[in-house]
Amino acid sequence: MGRLFVAAVLLFVAGCSGGESAVPGGSKLDALLAKAPVHSGEVTPGSAVDRIRKRGKLLIGGSQDAPLLSQLDPISGELTGFDAYLGKLLAHYILGKPQTELVSATSETREPLLGNGTVDVIIQTYTITPQRAERVAFAGPYYRSGQAIAVRKGTSGITGPADLTGKTVVVGANTPGVKAVREAAPTAKIVEFGSDPECVTALKQGRGEAYVQDQAILVADASKDPELQLVGEPFTEDPYGIGIEHGDAEFTRFVNDWLREIGESGLWQEVWKLSIGTVVTGDAPAPPAIAS
Amino acid sequence: MRLVLEGFLNTVALTLLAFFGALLVGSAVAVLRIVPVPLLRAVGAVYVEVWRNIPLLAWLVLFVFGLPEVGVTMPLFWTACVAIALYEAAFVAEALRSGVSSVAHGQGEAARALGLTFRQSLRYVVLPQALKRVVQPLANIAIALTMATALAGVVGVVDMTRAAQRINLELAQPLLVFTGVGLCYLVMSAFIGYGARVLERRLA
Repeated sequence: MGRLFVAAVLLFVAGCSGGESAVPGGSKLDALLAKAPVHSGEVTPGSAVDRIRKRGKLLIGGSQDAPLLSQLDPISGELTGFDAYLGKLLAHYILGKPQTELVSATSETREPLLGNGTVDVIIQTYTITPQRAERVAFAGPYYRSGQAIAVRKGTSGITGPADLTGKTVVVGANTPGVKAVREAAPTAKIVEFGSDPECVTALKQGRGEAYVQDQAILVADASKDPELQLVGEPFTEDPYGIGIEHGDAEFTRFVNDWLREIGESGLWQEVWKLSIGTVVTGDAPAPPAIAS
Repeated sequence: MRLVLEGFLNTVALTLLAFFGALLVGSAVAVLRIVPVPLLRAVGAVYVEVWRNIPLLAWLVLFVFGLPEVGVTMPLFWTACVAIALYEAAFVAEALRSGVSSVAHGQGEAARALGLTFRQSLRYVVLPQALKRVVQPLANIAIALTMATALAGVVGVVDMTRAAQRINLELAQPLLVFTGVGLCYLVMSAFIGYGARVLERRLA
């Protein structure tokens, strides 16, 4: 609900400023697209790739409010971030042009959206888990992230996940952080808020002693807000996969081949630098090994 | 399983407390709206228009994140409870007022002709007739309020919907999980509807 609300506001704002063609960062993506590979092999009639080509655009289930990953820029109306750019590149690989349409997905709707064919892929920090793998197919992992801890500057007594025991912890609703906190500190009280800015505000207002979120997002928050402080290194490892309709082994292999190709050519690292690399210092990490 | 129970109990508690609060505040506002003092009537009208014309979600976010900014920090459950109660009170007030309006003018005039004061005519003539007519509208509001408690999950309260979302995050079975939750809401609403029918028959 919170995401929807934020998305609706963003859409409204985007609508108000319609007609502007200046796209910040767009030219950088264009430079990437110029180098991006296009699939040249045979396409099986009736396959997912064939279906997408006939339609002329790739339908992606994702978010509009995930900073650095998939966020709708309210001024340009463009979707920016790591997940968003990968979606553009995948569309370019299949179609020869970055023609995509974002369908707002939430953790409640992802499996049904794939199951009934509303979207071709889900690119939404979709952590690969055994339970989910029974319901959908995963290409990838395309990114390995981890949950980290942020506290108000000057907080003492929290140096790692074990210190969350018995504490109140702010977590983004429906994020992998919920499970991460429950496993690291089963007695911690979890308080969920719909979006990242709400979580940060809640932490600053004392609704919890710590905030657990994807490290990249926390780094971005802390770079804007001097009251925030990151504690230690990420304490989980979340492999994000691209969700595909369950049982479509052919399309999964197709997407995996593409992920391998952009990983080897260095394109993956350039996408990282354009998005997560704008707040996380240092060189781009190596892309994760593709499972199959 | 503990999570489901916690969510269910929170939803029930939120519904009962918020509806009780809405009845109290709503009755007061309804009185403001019908007293023969223009200033008080205006106060009542402003309350209703302000509260019901801003979405509940906006109120919840304002209460949860705005109040601490001015130095008022209540537990999340109570913050949500107060916001829902004040919001629904506007609807309760209007339902009560329309109930009062539905009593024929002649009744009030007759009461006054008999020498009853404003308070007495409300108490003995108008309200008894109005009450049974507002039972169903109030039941509607109670059911809408039950559903509205799901919004509290967005501001950190673990209600039934939030609990379901947490479970679904691991099970990845949204159809199953949300059908179950839907049935729980259905049972609660059916219970309210049944109560309203019984109450209506008693008052008739």
